[in-house]
Amino acid sequence: MQQFANPARFLKIANILLPYIWAITAILFAVGLYGALVTTPPDYQQGETVRIMYVHVPAAWLGLFVYCLMGFFSAVAFIYRHPLADAAAKTAAPLGAVFCFLALVTGSFWGKPMWGTWWAWGDARLTSMFILLLFYLGYMAVWNSIDEPTRAAAIARIVALVGVVNVFVVKFSVNWWNSLHQGPSVIKMGGPAIDKSMLWALLTMAVAYTMLFLALHLVSLRSEIASRKLRQARLVEIGNR
Amino acid sequence: MDFSAAHVSYVIASYAISGACVVGLFLYVLSRDRALAAKLKHQQEKDKS
Repeated sequence: MQQFANPARFLKIANILLPYIWAITAILFAVGLYGALVTTPPDYQQGETVRIMYVHVPAAWLGLFVYCLMGFFSAVAFIYRHPLADAAAKTAAPLGAVFCFLALVTGSFWGKPMWGTWWAWGDARLTSMFILLLFYLGYMAVWNSIDEPTRAAAIARIVALVGVVNVFVVKFSVNWWNSLHQGPSVIKMGGPAIDKSMLWALLTMAVAYTMLFLALHLVSLRSEIASRKLRQARLVEIGNR
Repeated sequence: MDFSAAHVSYVIASYAISGACVVGLFLYVLSRDRALAAKLKHQQEKDKS
């Protein structure tokens, strides 16, 4: 693991892997969208509205997964003080924020016809997901508002690790409290409650979103390394004047 | 998909906003990467000379 944390080695491996990851992402999106919009049947209760699930659920999963990943990278940065771990957490945040935002918006579009309301502040799942978006925005604000990178990283790590608690609140909110939102239907005891004719498209879309995140994260991390090299070069240039 | 079904506009809106955000994110990340790579290359050439 340590050897991959070397920026030069990381860049070399990322540049080799990226074209393959992009290709797999494109194929998975094509297959997943075809399944979601064409071959899967409408739900016997929700009708065509169930098709929102194929974009809402993967976005929500990614919103939670990316924040856990930020927490992991922040913990690694705390323990090993490796700058690439901080960079990995920093570059994951905007991507996770977009997925979290999409989960909220598409959830709202699904909620209106099914529950009769766009939003309910008293609902634990909805509100905890919104708080997750605020954690993402707060984390990004820390990096953007503090000029000194080591100081920004130290504060950002704390925000990331504190926010991981909220990820568990989001996940278990439907079990702990009464909610408009349905309970777990894929990852649950006794196997998924969704019929196989729909499940394959949902899982394909979930893997497509994950591969998209992986590709975008690798590119963002490459940009971050370039940005740090540029900053370093400019500081040397100013020092030499 | 039945485009005449009830509430289908919510489905279309969900896919439209998801597509717009994903494509926007893709373009932003790639354009930032290219811009930074070009700036770094320029700086390294400047440093050499």
